[in-house]
Amino acid sequence: MNHGITRRNLSLGTVAAGALGSLAWAPSAWAQTAKQTPFTIVINSSPWFDGFRKVVEAYEAESGNKVNLDVNPFGGSLEKQRASVRTKDGLFDLLIMNGLYYQEFYHGGFLTPLNDIDPAFKLDPQMIRYDNTVYWNEATKTHDPAGKLMSVPVNGNIPLLMYRADLYEEFKLKVPETWDELLANAKKLHNPPKIYGIVQRGARGAPNDVSYDWWPYLYSFNGSLFRDEAKGDFTISINSPEGKAALDFYIRMAKEAGHPQTGGLAQAQIIQNLATGKAAHAMLVIAAWSQMDDPNKSAVVGKLNATRAPRSANGKSAPVLGHWLGGIPKNVPKARQTAALTFLNWFQTRGAQVKYLQSGAPPVRQDVLADPSFASDPKYRWMKAMADSSAVTRQMWTVPEGSQIGDVLELRLNQAVIGELTTARALNMIADEAHAIMVRGGYKTGKITPLA
Amino acid sequence: MSRTATPVPESVWRNLALTPSLAVFMLLSLLPVANLVAMSMHEIRWEDGRSTWEFIGAAHYARLGGDTLFHKGAYNTLVFSVVGVSLQVFIGFMLAWAVSRIARGRVVYRTIFILPILVPGILIGAIWKLMLNYDFGLANGLIGVFGFLPVDWLGTASLALPSVIMVDIWHWTPFCFLLLLAGFESLPQELHEAALVDGANAWAELRYVYLPIMMPVIAVTFLFRFMTSLKVFDEIYLLTGGGPGSSTEVISYTIYRTFFTQDQMGYGSAMSVAVLFVIAILLVLGFGLSRFRRGAA
Amino acid sequence: MKLRLAERLRFEHILLVLVACFVLVPFIWIIAAGFKTQISLLQGEIFFTPNLASYREVLFSKTTEFFSNAFNSLVIATASTLAIVFAATLGGYAMERMQTPRWMVHTLLGWSVVFHMVPPITLVAAWFPLYRQFHLDNTYTGMVFAHTALHLPMALWLMSSFIREVPIELEEAARIDGCSTPYLLWKIIVPLIAPGLAATAILMFIFSWNEFAVALNMTAKQTATVPVAIAKFAQSYEIKYGEMAATAALALIPALLFLLMGQRYIVKGLTTGAIK
Repeated sequence: MNHGITRRNLSLGTVAAGALGSLAWAPSAWAQTAKQTPFTIVINSSPWFDGFRKVVEAYEAESGNKVNLDVNPFGGSLEKQRASVRTKDGLFDLLIMNGLYYQEFYHGGFLTPLNDIDPAFKLDPQMIRYDNTVYWNEATKTHDPAGKLMSVPVNGNIPLLMYRADLYEEFKLKVPETWDELLANAKKLHNPPKIYGIVQRGARGAPNDVSYDWWPYLYSFNGSLFRDEAKGDFTISINSPEGKAALDFYIRMAKEAGHPQTGGLAQAQIIQNLATGKAAHAMLVIAAWSQMDDPNKSAVVGKLNATRAPRSANGKSAPVLGHWLGGIPKNVPKARQTAALTFLNWFQTRGAQVKYLQSGAPPVRQDVLADPSFASDPKYRWMKAMADSSAVTRQMWTVPEGSQIGDVLELRLNQAVIGELTTARALNMIADEAHAIMVRGGYKTGKITPLA
Repeated sequence: MSRTATPVPESVWRNLALTPSLAVFMLLSLLPVANLVAMSMHEIRWEDGRSTWEFIGAAHYARLGGDTLFHKGAYNTLVFSVVGVSLQVFIGFMLAWAVSRIARGRVVYRTIFILPILVPGILIGAIWKLMLNYDFGLANGLIGVFGFLPVDWLGTASLALPSVIMVDIWHWTPFCFLLLLAGFESLPQELHEAALVDGANAWAELRYVYLPIMMPVIAVTFLFRFMTSLKVFDEIYLLTGGGPGSSTEVISYTIYRTFFTQDQMGYGSAMSVAVLFVIAILLVLGFGLSRFRRGAA
Repeated sequence: MKLRLAERLRFEHILLVLVACFVLVPFIWIIAAGFKTQISLLQGEIFFTPNLASYREVLFSKTTEFFSNAFNSLVIATASTLAIVFAATLGGYAMERMQTPRWMVHTLLGWSVVFHMVPPITLVAAWFPLYRQFHLDNTYTGMVFAHTALHLPMALWLMSSFIREVPIELEEAARIDGCSTPYLLWKIIVPLIAPGLAATAILMFIFSWNEFAVALNMTAKQTATVPVAIAKFAQSYEIKYGEMAATAALALIPALLFLLMGQRYIVKGLTTGAIK
């Protein structure tokens, strides 16, 4: 199957023609592929679901194949997918898994490597790999690019720094690159109770708020949870001086330019503050962008812009993945597996991704994200930030025990934010508890010298 | 007794009457609990698409002993249930009493007081969260009218649990009201009339006439509302996520996270079974105590 | 004495009006949410221009399944309520008045309470493989079984306690007259416990109507119920308060109707009881 090469030639031609984002792929190729049996996708309802649904409809029209969509609320999606893969014959043929819980499906051996279904299938080089989370090496249990291909990304949800471009113009501010620059800008715009410089997710979340919000700080300050996860060294290193610096800065940001009740803010409140115009900055996932330009949902239509997550003076920007991967379980008939893979193959084409973008969802192809003809459209002004971020985005963890550690992180970090614990004590407690979890899981782990 | 036809023995009717309930219990309720007990004594792992169950005896239970978050959750749940349910039963009782006594507007009041229970828990959580919001909530708007500064109802450790209790009272008092009203309306007419004729003081009448007679219904209402309250989940999940810190951590939420979010089926089962065990013990004690008191009387 | 009568009534009315306000304000807020735009909700606007977008989305949008969900909820709630009330009344009567051995009664009632403590979602974990095997998942039958199993324990307790309140002399009198047991149950006991029976039925209907955890996992598009639909609006990156409130408000109507019908039955039962 040469679809990948055909697509790329066509797409280059399109860009060269300077077409304003109008797609031009040859549908005939798809009408020629064999008819597939109907299959079921299990996915959760979200702002980008509408875009996904339209793309699925386009696929059905194109190929004549039938796709069933089982849509679930986010709270409960994991249980439903898990129940399906653990029975003898599964209900769902394509699982759309969140970046924070797909690990259990990889580790548990529930998914079929995509090349087992079709040895000729290739992930298009333009598809973003999202920190190699699509690959899996069963022996070393790592995301090894030389390992097997387990999934195709379906949504690249990354946090961006969203800021009030109108206020930036008014106060003549420069878009921040580092955390210090962000803090300085936030302090200038901080004018409570009318407007807060920045709002942060300090709440103890379900499943996560504060740890997801703080993680870019941790990575960019050169801290980490495990010493060298990629090499299998799970020594807990979160309570390092770098980790403390990151947490201290996060709390300092809240005190000097943030919301007085940061410890009670979950994602919904961040969106609320930003959309009502009560916040000048917020780190928010791209999936929430569509609400900001909708006059029924926002009081700041057209006033926001986005940029990549800041870094520390000597670190790198590291927005954290909250993406969605499409994997195919083992416990469904081969015919349906093939049908699902055929859909994924179509989905990764440039044409499909452009349609995805135009239907209101962020694309997962780098060439579409970085395409200047789209980025110039004010409707897509977030794309440059996304393209920049996709290159450096990092995973929080790769082990299923991550959800247990996440629980500990949420509690202790929240306690640090509300002042119940000092940052040093909170990080030390996290390290102790995370260590116990990893020991129980049988990993090669240890602890570093605790913070004073 | 006139014998028009061969009488069916009482025991046959009894067994027939019990069958539907027993069938449901056997098939659908015994099995999951037995499953839970079994899981609580194993460490369950999934590899290569299959599960391995490793028997570890009481190790999970031992771990419970040192789980401070679980203990905090148990404590919070008890406070939540005792305070919340007591208030709900009290308010429900007063409302039922008041409604059963007024002549007009009964249907209106009855309908109004039942409304909160008709709203799905998830919506109650979402809207109350909006109402208690620090920046934009109705609650702060109202107290602002009287000159008070905004309060972070759900984000302040000392206020979070009381706020959740208040939402729970709003949500569940209808349940108590409904049952207690049914109790009041089952009372023989003569009781109402006699009390009125006597000209007794309303409070005395309440204390010495209605309270003792309604005791069985009050007890059942309290018991069931208490049992349901110990399972509280929706409100915590939606309003506070167990925070700030662990001030609103409750057992159901701990079990949910352990069993589902973290996929620790063995440990989560041990938590559930431990809770069930404690309830069962309390029940046995409670029954024993009431039998003892009845015997003594 | 006339003064004291007036006093008493005043207190009752004051109490009722106060509580009614506390109940109604949040309730109206919830209903109003269905008529506000999302930004208006987020800003906590008290005075707003009503807007039907949420209702339009819920009732007429291309992807809406509201009518199907409401129908499913209705079928499942009605069927499970009937099943539960039937089983609980029979069972309750058997335990209280038919010489069931005490150990059995205590075990059944005790088990009811203990089982009631199990979080429903852990039951799903045990039921789901069973249901898959018997092809009961995503069926009305399966859901009715599940809801019956979930709520029967409480109903048993309630009906037992209401039946216990019936004076035993009445039954003895009826038996002397030559009543068979089914006749006794149907013609004498049931009318006497009518208020309790109605209250139980109302509660069971409401519980089934609002049940979420089991419905989420055991249904798919064909049998999804209203709470599942509402939960879908509480998305991880956007809570669509307006649509949630609109769905709940619409779903309230059948529940309210059932309630009002049930109330009339309570009154009817009362009159019948008084005649005895």
